Amino acid sequence: MAHAKPLATLRSATGIPTGRLAVWWVLASEVVIFGGLLGSYLMHRIGHPEWAAAAAHTQTWIGAVNTFVLLTSSFTAVLAHQAAERGNGKEAAKLLGLTILGALTFLVIKSFEWANEISHGYTITANTFWSFYYTAAGLHALHVIAGGIIMGFVAFDAYRGRELHRVELIGIYWHFVDVVWIFLFPLLYIAK
Amino acid sequence: MSENKDIEQHPGDGHEGGHHHINYLGIYLALVVLFLISVAGPEVGELTGLRWITLVTAFGIAIVKANLVIQNFMHLKWEKRLMKWMLATSLILMFLMVAGISPDVMNHEGNNWENIAAKAAVERGVEAEVEEAEPVEVVAVGFSAEGAYRSICATCHGAEGMGDGPAGAALVPPPANFTDPAFWADRDRDRIVAVLENGAASVGGSSLMAAYGGLYTDDQISELADYVMAFAPGE
Ligand code: HEC
Repeated sequence: MAHAKPLATLRSATGIPTGRLAVWWVLASEVVIFGGLLGSYLMHRIGHPEWAAAAAHTQTWIGAVNTFVLLTSSFTAVLAHQAAERGNGKEAAKLLGLTILGALTFLVIKSFEWANEISHGYTITANTFWSFYYTAAGLHALHVIAGGIIMGFVAFDAYRGRELHRVELIGIYWHFVDVVWIFLFPLLYIAK
Repeated sequence: MSENKDIEQHPGDGHEGGHHHINYLGIYLALVVLFLISVAGPEVGELTGLRWITLVTAFGIAIVKANLVIQNFMHLKWEKRLMKWMLATSLILMFLMVAGISPDVMNHEGNNWENIAAKAAVERGVEAEVEEAEPVEVVAVGFSAEGAYRSICATCHGAEGMGDGPAGAALVPPPANFTDPAFWADRDRDRIVAVLENGAASVGGSSLMAAYGGLYTDDQISELADYVMAFAPGE
């Protein structure tokens, strides 16, 4: 099994390791997905001043706490990468574990936030503002979930000293998820 | 997989310049400080009445933060140029798309067309949003007139009762200004209680000021009325 690795994994026509090139390709397409979504939101928001009334109900401090959580998890992810670079798989796995903890914290806070909003009647169908709100934050949350799961696999291997280069790859993805939130936060919570 | 292969694929390979020494903690602290500024921005914007401060601290800082993360945590600054072009291409395509549709989305009429639905939504919007905003329930942490006022009324009437709450800015008629002597010229406590109980429409006012009789008990309404009365100038 161990030797049945696809050839492309070990080959690099560009001089960039294939795995890292692949992650960046994924992110390049994510740029269009999230960029298109956030761009549409921004344009609609400018065309509809009355959305201010709905936007006034998003809970800034919850968004702020979650921003801090994701920033911190990005920090632990980059430290994991650093540990992997030094060949310390156990340390890398531990730091990835902390990052997963960050992902879980983010999701728990998000569920309380949404439960509270939904119970007040602000559902995805309430009006177009709330539709955008749940679509954008929801798509982002799916990325958080996916990242957390993949990170679990990477940490499992890293702990055993295997596939340490993947620590960097999942990290790059994770930082992207953080960057998306860095833009969602002002859009939905600050300049509303 | 043999150990050798792992070493071949060791992270840092392919980065121009190999291993880099970045002060990750420093970058992280910088991000946290920027984050705190962006949270404080709207407060400063509100205090000074300069909305552009909010916009700058919100989006300007987001761009700075994103750049710090992308360059230092994602190591884009050490990637090959090919990678940067790849990302630039998708950014440019994204901006092209947004720019292409923006005139249709942001304007509600052009030379030969009119987006009646969007215009009507703007008109209706103000009232509809307000109606939706009403069923806000007070979380059962015990009632206080001040707490209720701050969490509900202040969104329209403003924390100081001046009718300048964020959700009230777009309303017609505007939310009442409780600090205005003219407001109190023809109002007494009974009227305030009646408005809170049954809504302003019940006394000939606008339905934007909803009834709160269903949400609060008579005692609580009475406390709220006292709280509102306390904004009255003079006396
Ligand atoms: C959705 C925005 C909104 C909220 C929330 C709101 N109000 Fe009002 N209020 C208004 C508007 C608009 C008016 C002006 C109505 C008019 O001029 O006919 C008003 C008017 C009033 C008046 C004067 C009515 C009169 O004509 O005598 C009182 C008193 C009042 N509000 C108290 C409150 C209190 C107390 C709360 C919280 C329980 C509250 N309001 C919540 C929008 C709001």
